[in-house]
Amino acid sequence: MDFRNTESRDLRPSRRGFLALAATSGLATALGGVPAFAASAAPRRPTESPLLSPGDAARNQLWWSAPGSANSMIEQGLPVGNGRLGALASNDPARELLTISDATLWTGGLNDTLQSDGQFPYGRDDFGSLTLLGTLTVDIPEHDLGVVDNYRRTLDLAQGLVGTTYEIDGVSYRRQIFASRPDDAVVLHFSREGRGTYTGTVSLAGTHGEATTAGGRCASFGASFANGLRYGAAVTAHSSSGTVAIQGNSITFTGCRDLTVVVSGGTNYAPDAGTGFRDPSVEPEHLARAKVLAAARESLRDLLHTHVADFRPLFERFDLDLGTSSPAQRELDTWGRLAARWRDNVPDPELEAAYVQFGRYLTISGSRGSLPMGLQGPWLDGNDPDWMGDYHTDVNIQMSYWLADRAGLSDCFDALADYCVAQLPAWTDVTRRLFNTPTNRFRNSSGRVAGWTVAFSTNPYGGSGWWWHPAGNAWLCQNLFEHYEYVQDRAYLAKIFPLLKGAVEFWETRLVTMTVTDAAGVTREVLVADSDWSPEHGPQDTRGNTYAQELVWNLFENYRTATRLLGRDTGHGETVDGLRRRLYLPEVSPTTGWLQEWMSPDNLGETTHRHLSPLIGLFPGDRIRPDDSTPPEIVAGATALLTARGMNSYGWANAWRSLCWARLKDAEKAYQLLVNNLKPSTNGSNGTAMNLFDIYETNPGRGIFQIDANLGTPAAVVEMLVYSRPDHVELLPALPAAWAASGSVSGVGVRGGFVVDVAWKDGAVTRATLTSVGGRATTVVAGGRSRQVTLRPGESVTLRSFR
Amino acid sequence: MRTSRGSRYRTGVAVVAAALAGTLGAGVVPAQATPASPTAAEPGGAAVTSADVDADVDVDADGDVAARPYMGWTSWSMQSSKYPGLNPDGDYSYLTESNVLKQADALARKLKPYGYEYVNIDAGWWRDFAWKPRFDEYARQTPEPSRFPRGMKAVADDIHAKGLKAGIYLPVGLEKEAYVEGAAPIWNAPDCTTADIVYPDLRTTNGWDSAYKLNFDNPCAQRYIDSQAQMFADWGYDFLKLDGVGPGSFKSGDNYDNIADVAAWQRAIAATGRPIHLELSWSLDINHAADWKRYSNGWRIDTDVECYCNTLVTWENSVDDRFDDAPAWSRWAGPGGWNDLDSLNVGNGVMDGLTNAERQTYTTLWAISKSPLYTGDDLTRLDEYGLSLLTNREVIAVDQNGGPPARPVTPAGDQQVWGTHNPDGSWTIALFNLAEAPAAVTADWASLGFTGKASVRDLWNRKNLGTYQNKITATLPAHGSRLFTVRPGGTELVTTSYEAEAGTNTLSGNASVNGCDACSGGQKVGNLYLGGKVQINGVTVRKAGIYTISVAYVSGDARSVTVYSNDGNGTSLKFPATGDWGTVATVSVQLALKAGVNTVTFDSADWYAPDIDRIDVPRTP
Repeated sequence: MDFRNTESRDLRPSRRGFLALAATSGLATALGGVPAFAASAAPRRPTESPLLSPGDAARNQLWWSAPGSANSMIEQGLPVGNGRLGALASNDPARELLTISDATLWTGGLNDTLQSDGQFPYGRDDFGSLTLLGTLTVDIPEHDLGVVDNYRRTLDLAQGLVGTTYEIDGVSYRRQIFASRPDDAVVLHFSREGRGTYTGTVSLAGTHGEATTAGGRCASFGASFANGLRYGAAVTAHSSSGTVAIQGNSITFTGCRDLTVVVSGGTNYAPDAGTGFRDPSVEPEHLARAKVLAAARESLRDLLHTHVADFRPLFERFDLDLGTSSPAQRELDTWGRLAARWRDNVPDPELEAAYVQFGRYLTISGSRGSLPMGLQGPWLDGNDPDWMGDYHTDVNIQMSYWLADRAGLSDCFDALADYCVAQLPAWTDVTRRLFNTPTNRFRNSSGRVAGWTVAFSTNPYGGSGWWWHPAGNAWLCQNLFEHYEYVQDRAYLAKIFPLLKGAVEFWETRLVTMTVTDAAGVTREVLVADSDWSPEHGPQDTRGNTYAQELVWNLFENYRTATRLLGRDTGHGETVDGLRRRLYLPEVSPTTGWLQEWMSPDNLGETTHRHLSPLIGLFPGDRIRPDDSTPPEIVAGATALLTARGMNSYGWANAWRSLCWARLKDAEKAYQLLVNNLKPSTNGSNGTAMNLFDIYETNPGRGIFQIDANLGTPAAVVEMLVYSRPDHVELLPALPAAWAASGSVSGVGVRGGFVVDVAWKDGAVTRATLTSVGGRATTVVAGGRSRQVTLRPGESVTLRSFR
Repeated sequence: MRTSRGSRYRTGVAVVAAALAGTLGAGVVPAQATPASPTAAEPGGAAVTSADVDADVDVDADGDVAARPYMGWTSWSMQSSKYPGLNPDGDYSYLTESNVLKQADALARKLKPYGYEYVNIDAGWWRDFAWKPRFDEYARQTPEPSRFPRGMKAVADDIHAKGLKAGIYLPVGLEKEAYVEGAAPIWNAPDCTTADIVYPDLRTTNGWDSAYKLNFDNPCAQRYIDSQAQMFADWGYDFLKLDGVGPGSFKSGDNYDNIADVAAWQRAIAATGRPIHLELSWSLDINHAADWKRYSNGWRIDTDVECYCNTLVTWENSVDDRFDDAPAWSRWAGPGGWNDLDSLNVGNGVMDGLTNAERQTYTTLWAISKSPLYTGDDLTRLDEYGLSLLTNREVIAVDQNGGPPARPVTPAGDQQVWGTHNPDGSWTIALFNLAEAPAAVTADWASLGFTGKASVRDLWNRKNLGTYQNKITATLPAHGSRLFTVRPGGTELVTTSYEAEAGTNTLSGNASVNGCDACSGGQKVGNLYLGGKVQINGVTVRKAGIYTISVAYVSGDARSVTVYSNDGNGTSLKFPATGDWGTVATVSVQLALKAGVNTVTFDSADWYAPDIDRIDVPRTP
C-alpha cells in the first residue's frame, strides 16, 4: 500500500531533532561556505548539547587498541578535518602527534612554460605540490605506553571526534581531538578521572624550516613560499589548574588536571585567478594567532558542542544498515576486524557499512568551503606526497566526488565545482595559448583551438602538469553536470555553464571526420576525437578512442540539456547535439569479444590494465545499460572487457570495477571487489591500512595513500543498493548475499532530484520512501516491478508493495 | 665473541681468542637469585607472586655447576664497542686489570645482592693492544702484562675477595702462533710437543681458522687441554668460555667439528678437581645439541648480540634475532646446561643503543628463555631504568625458577605471546610487539590450555592487574613487551582433537602421511611444499565464532603455512622451529568456525611448510 506523505522530508520526526538543533547552531554559517582562511564572525553556539549518548555514538565508531606510530602516520594516524585543515593524530599517551595540512598550502604556479615535447613540467617547484603545514606535539613523558593499561582510541564518525582513553595506576585519562569548522581550529582536550595530572610540553613546528616563536600565550610561525604564498600557524593552551607557561618556543604545562590545546593555521590563497590566487589582505600567522586566542576564550564545552552541531547533521543525512555482525566480530577492534574479515572470508556487515561511513566522514572533513580533495585530501605526513597530492583528472578527482551526491553530502561537492569555476579563466588562457604548440603530439590537427582543457594533473593555480589530457575537460564536466542532476539547482547549473560551454567549444575545434565501414560493409562518415591516449594505456596517437568518444558524447548531450534548462545558447545546443549524433561510438571487437578501447579489433594494451577508460560509458556514464536501451552485443562486449580486466587490481581500480559490476547487476563481483579493497595492508601492500586509508603499493614494500578508493568504494556500495538516472530509479540492483538478510539505507541521492530511503528483507525491498528535492516524476523499479511516482519538491512517498 | 665481519679485526690479525676457566673459589656461593621474599613488600601483592626462587636456589651448595642459569658480567660488550672512550688504546683495549676490577667492584656493590656473581674476562687477556698474542714455553696463553701486569691469578683472587666468581676465555684449538714449528713442549707431558697434538697437515679449525685443529687420536692433545685447565684451576678461575666452537661459529665440516675438544675440556676440568663452568660460543649447531648438553654447561645459540658499532648493541643487530632462534633450542635447557642468548646489555640506554621499551623486551626474552643473565654494561654507569631492569627480583626469579624455558604459543609474527608453565602451577606469559609501531597483543588463555578467569600480575610494573576472563590484551610500544604471571582460576580447556593423518582428510599436492614417533597417533602429514596442503575435514562445533585452535606440528626450521577455515583467504603464519624433525610443538591460531561442520586447511602455498600432527579445537569459541 502506498501513502503520500506531504510533510517535508526535513521535518520528518527522525530528523527533526538534529535539524532544529542545527538551526540554532553554527550550521547555517557552516554551509554558507567561508571561502578560505579568513577572519570570520564568531559562530553561533548551540544552547543545548548536540552530543549523542554513548550508546548511540557507538553505532558509528571505529576503535583501535593501539596508538599510531609517529613513523606511520599515513597508515595509523586518525584523520580529522574541517574542510580545509586536515590533521592525522597518533594518540600516543606519551606523545600526541598531529601532522597538520591545509588544502591550500601549495607550492608551484601557473606552470605555463611547456617542455620541448609540448607537455607540461611536473615538478614540485614548477607545477607544485601540496605540502604539510606543520606538526603539533603534546609530550607527556610520564604517560609512557609501557605503564598504560586498557588503552583504546576511537574515531566517532557521526560527531567528528577522535578519542583516546587509558589508565595509569588506576587513574583514567581521556583525550578528545576535533577539527572545528565554525571555530576554524583543531582542538585537543585532555582530561582525567582521579588524582592524576598532566605535565609536559606543547610544541608547534613548521616543516619547511620555519622558526617557531612563542609569546603572548601562543607559539606560532609564519613564512612564505617562493611562489609568494604566505602561510602561518599558531597554537595556544590553557588549563583550569596547574601551570601553563611559555618556555622558549614551546608551551609547558605542569600539574594540570585538564588541558585544552587549540591550533589553527592557513594561507593567503584565494580561489580567484584574477588576483593571482592570493588574498593580499590576509596575514596568516597573525590570523592564526587571533583564531586560536578567540577559540581559547570559549569553554571546551562550547567549542565541542559547536563543532558537533556543525558536523552531525551532515553525517546523519545518510544512514546505512547492511545487517548484523557477530559478537565475535564486534569484540575485535577495527584493525583486528579487518584482519578477520580477510582471513575468514566471513562477511562483517557492520564493518562494511562503517567503511562506507568512513568515506563520508572523510568527505565531510576534507571537502567543505575550500579546495576539493586531491589524491590524499588534506591528509599528509610529509612534504613529498606522491604525484604532488594533486588533482588527477583521468579518474581520481572524479571518483573522489562520486560518493558525495549519492550519500547525502551534496554540499561537499561544491568544493569541486567552485574549484573548476575558479580555475576556468586560467585553464582557458593556457589552453588557447599552448595547446596547439607544434610539438604537442595531442594538438588539434584542425589548427584551431577554443575553450579549455587540462592536463592529467592540475593544481590550484590554474596550472596543469604532466601530459595534456584533452578529454579531461569532458570528464570534469560529466561530474559537474551529474551533480546538477542530483540537486536540480538552476543557479548551480548557471554557475558551471561556462565550463560546459568552454569544453564544448574545445571539442568543436578538435573533432575530425573519418569514414568507417561497418560489419555489413556499409561506409559512413563519423566524427572522431583527434590523436590521443586512452589514459595511461596503449598507443599515444590514436583517433577515435572510446574514452574520448564516450565523454564527448556525454558532454554534448549534457550541454544541450543545460542550454534548454537555462534558456541560453539553445541554438548552439541543438547544433552540438547534431555533432553528438555524428560521433563514432565504440564497437565490439570480433577478435576479443571486448568492447573496443581503440578503433581497432586488436588488444593494443595490457589485458588487466588498471584503467577502465573504454567502459566509461557504463560507469560513470550510463549510455551502456544492461536493458533494452542498449544493444545486447554492446552489453556483452562491455561485460567481456570488464571480465578480462580482472578482479585483482587495487584501490581505485577495484572501486571502478565494482561500480561497473554494480551497473551490470553482478552483485557478488561488485561485493568481492569491496572485500578485496578491505584486505589489510601490510608492509605497504594493496589494501586498507589500520586507519582505513586505502593503500596502493607503488613498489614492493612501499605503499602510498590515495583517498579516491576510500570514496569510490563506498560509492560502489551505494550503487549496489540504488541505481538512478533521470526518470529512473532502481532499488537493490546488485544486493549481495552477504547483506541480503535485512538492511536499510536512507538519504541516497537520486539523479533527477530525489532522495530515497530503502529497507529490505531476504533480498527484497520492504519499504522505500522517495522524497523530491526538486524532481517531479520518476519511475521506481524494484524486484522486477516498476512504479511511476510524481511529487512536488519537498514531498515524499512511501512505497511498500514490491514483493 | 665471534667474527663474521673481517673489518672488525685489524689487518693481519686473524684471530681473537681467549678462554676462561673458573675455579670454584673457597666456599661455593649460592646462586642467591632471591634475596628475601621479593614480593612481600608489594601492596596487595598476595594474589600472585613469582617468588618461587628461594626454594630452588640453593643448588650450588653441593657444587653443581649451572644448576641455574648463571648471572654476572662480561668484558666483551665494551671491548667490542666503538662507544666513545671505551677503547682508547685500540680495538678491544678495554680489557685491563683495572677495568675488570672496577666492574667487579660495581657488580659486588650493585648487583651481587640480586644473584649476579660471575666476572668474566673475555678475549684478549693474552694479547697486547696490537692484538699480538703471548704464550708460555708450553704453548699456553699467558697474561699480557700491559693488560694484566699482576697476572691472572691476582685478578681472580681480587674478584673472589669481593665474594664473586672469576671467568676466563680461550679459543678452541691450538692457536697458530703457539705451534712454534711443532717444537713447544706440552706441560706435564714429557713425550709431547705441539707437533704431536695437531694433524700433520696443520689443518685449521674454529670460527676464525685461527688455530690448528687438535688431533685427539694422539693422547698428547688431551694432555695439552689438561695443561690449560690446570693452569686456570691454579689461577682460581670458576668459568671458561670456549669460543669459536664448531659445528657452529659459522663453520661446518670435519675440520670444524670441535666436539672432541669440548669433551676433552670436560675431562680436563674434572681432572683438576675444581668446578669450572664450561660455556661454549658461538652459534652452536643445534644438530649437536645433545653433545653440547653432555659436555658443557651452556651454549650460545646465536651470533654475538653486540653490534660492533657506536653503542653496545642495536635492536636489529642483533637483539631481535633471538626471537626467531630461541624456540628451536627451548627443550635443551635445564639444570647443568642452558641456552645462552649472549650478554644482556640493558643497563645504560645511551650506551646500549636501545629504547627503554627495547631494553625491557630484551630482558624479558632472556628471563623467560632461562638464559644466563650476564650484562656487558659499564656497571659504574648504570642508569636508573637500567638498574631497575637488572634488579627486578620477580623477573630474575622467572629466569631462575627452575622451570622450562618459555616457547611461543602464537606464530612468529610481529606480535607474539610466549608462555611456560611454572613449577608452582602458575604460568609465565610474555607479550611481545616486535613491530616498529605500537600494537595491541592478546594472550588467550586457550592458547595455554585453560579457560575462564585467571589472576594476572604485571612483573615489570610490580602490580596485580586483577582477574581476566579468557584473555588479556595489552597495548605495547614499538619493540615493547609485558611480562605476566598468570594463575588460572578457571577450568582446563576441553578440546576435540583432529589428527592431520585421518583418512577422512583431503591431502593435495605431494602431501603425504608419514610416521612420527613423537606425534599423536604416531603419524603426521608431511611433504607440504609448493602447493601441497592438508584439509582437515569434519571439524564440528556447536556455536559459530572465532576459535583459538591449537596446532601440533613438527618443523626443524621455522616455516610458514597458510592456515584457513572453510573458504577463508587465511593468513600466512610462521611456525617457530621445533629444532628437529622429530619434535612436536604447538602454537595457537585464530579461525572462524561456523556452527556445524567445518574444514581447516594448512596450505604450503608457494614454499615449504611445517609437518602437521593434529589440531585441538575448543568446544566453545
